[in-house]
Amino acid sequence: MSKSTTAPQPSRLSVLWHKWRFHLNILLLLIPLGFMPKYFSEAALFRGDTGLGEREIGEIQVGPWSLRLAELRDEGPRADGPAGYLKSFNAALCDACIEPVKATYLRIGKPRSLRAAGVIFFGTPYRMGASVPVPEKTKTDAELWITMEGWDGSMHQASIPLSQASPATIAWLNKHGGKP
Amino acid sequence: MSKKSRSKLWFLVHSWLALPIWFFVLIVCVTGTLAVVSQEIVWLANPQMRASPPSDDAPLLSYDQILAAMKKAEPHTLVQAISRPDESHFALDVDVSYPDGRSLTVYVNPYSGVIQGVAPQFNFKAFTRALHGWWLVPFTNGYSWGWYLVSFLGLPLLVSLITGLVVYKKFWKGFLRPTLRIRHGARIFWGDFHRLSGIWSIWFIAVISITGTWFLIQALLFDNQVSISSAPIIPSMAREAVPLSPDGTPPAQIDIDRAIEIALQKIPGLEASFISLPGNAYSHMDVGGRGWYPLMFQTATINPYNGEVAATRLISDRSALEFVTESMRPLHTGDFGGLWIKLIWFFFGLVLSMMVLSGLLIWTKRTALATANALKRSKKKEHSASAQPSRETSEASL
Repeated sequence: MSKSTTAPQPSRLSVLWHKWRFHLNILLLLIPLGFMPKYFSEAALFRGDTGLGEREIGEIQVGPWSLRLAELRDEGPRADGPAGYLKSFNAALCDACIEPVKATYLRIGKPRSLRAAGVIFFGTPYRMGASVPVPEKTKTDAELWITMEGWDGSMHQASIPLSQASPATIAWLNKHGGKP
Repeated sequence: MSKKSRSKLWFLVHSWLALPIWFFVLIVCVTGTLAVVSQEIVWLANPQMRASPPSDDAPLLSYDQILAAMKKAEPHTLVQAISRPDESHFALDVDVSYPDGRSLTVYVNPYSGVIQGVAPQFNFKAFTRALHGWWLVPFTNGYSWGWYLVSFLGLPLLVSLITGLVVYKKFWKGFLRPTLRIRHGARIFWGDFHRLSGIWSIWFIAVISITGTWFLIQALLFDNQVSISSAPIIPSMAREAVPLSPDGTPPAQIDIDRAIEIALQKIPGLEASFISLPGNAYSHMDVGGRGWYPLMFQTATINPYNGEVAATRLISDRSALEFVTESMRPLHTGDFGGLWIKLIWFFFGLVLSMMVLSGLLIWTKRTALATANALKRSKKKEHSASAQPSRETSEASL
């Protein structure tokens, strides 16, 4: 086209561009093809087809009750805008605690009271999720505290080392931690 | 600049807009077109999704009757949300949680409460929307870059509409004298086709490009933590607001039908089309549906223990800006008025896809011609000029 008359001496770059520009289409179409396995594995993860989460932590006894805990993703915390870094866990209550348990909470570090029990789980007793804020200054020997509250007003707590709950978070802290 | 060279420039801009990523643009158009009717395609493929009445005058069950029927059939299945699709030939979508930890959607017959089936593992509707909307690039921190990639196309689409109308002199005459010459060769045919379908889809291209550009702005605003929302954040219930029960069993909650009655008192004329049940002991239930303005939903947030309305979000609560921005998504997808609007969107989606294709065909034919001419010229000069790679040849080398 007439555009060509304005550039008498095409540079190497523009020659390359003119030769390969239509191949951009192929590159652009490879993107969704490449992400397709990830898309379907995520869909299965959220449907619960592949279990409670990417990495099961196991059954944890909390007073008379117990729950199964899992990391939603086997990876370090994710940035969530101004909220800082969040780490998502999933849980399922034991059959006997479905009725008596009113709420379940997660927190890094021991809660001072029930009011500060941490983030509350959302979902059903079969599968519920909570995203715990992980401050970058969290110590690698920190503990993950589980608080369960009963409809009768009772409260029970248990903790597991963060290193057991999420080795990926420990690895992330070793890399990112220590910053204010 | 002379008038002639200015119009030539407009023409050049128009010709080059979809290039060289024309195939990407085409696939985005095609997947968007499919996404419009994705729900209907699933309906056709999957009989479990159909809401067949047992008899012609069978009444619809109330939501509580649906829940009761589901509880009877599957006592351990927990319901999280119910939604009634816009079109009455669709079964209810009920989000459930199974004891084995799976959480999925089941199709429930609105006349009998029968659980007709589980939504298939491959969710065609979600897949086409994910492919069209963000090119399947996962969201990890804020909007995915695939979202930016696709929504950015709103801008060249808008510019091609504007330049197209400038280049097509007195385009309004095309409405009065539609021309589609079939027997004059492919170049003429595709040119006529491009112009004819272009003028009849001015409104559609404008809607899609403006709403598409809004999706780009929306992502930019979100990722830069700019909020234009006037919706209040509803705090979860206070500890004191949730009753204790000495015997350790969960306290009674109000029925869904009662919740709808309460919502109706606050939102006259509400047609409750979705209900989401509390996500834990301290969260509310939501009842919502379309109001007089079909592009937006109105919701009431209700305390499930005492039926108090914690908050409502009405159409009149939206700021003028939100009124515009919240209308963008339904305008883009065409899912605000039932099957016929979807079919109109689908048809014009096809036309737009064909516009991309015909634009490209014209471009190659014209460029091929230009290249042939250029080659003729260069043959004449062959002996004098040294062989410099002609740009026009490479343009034709598709």
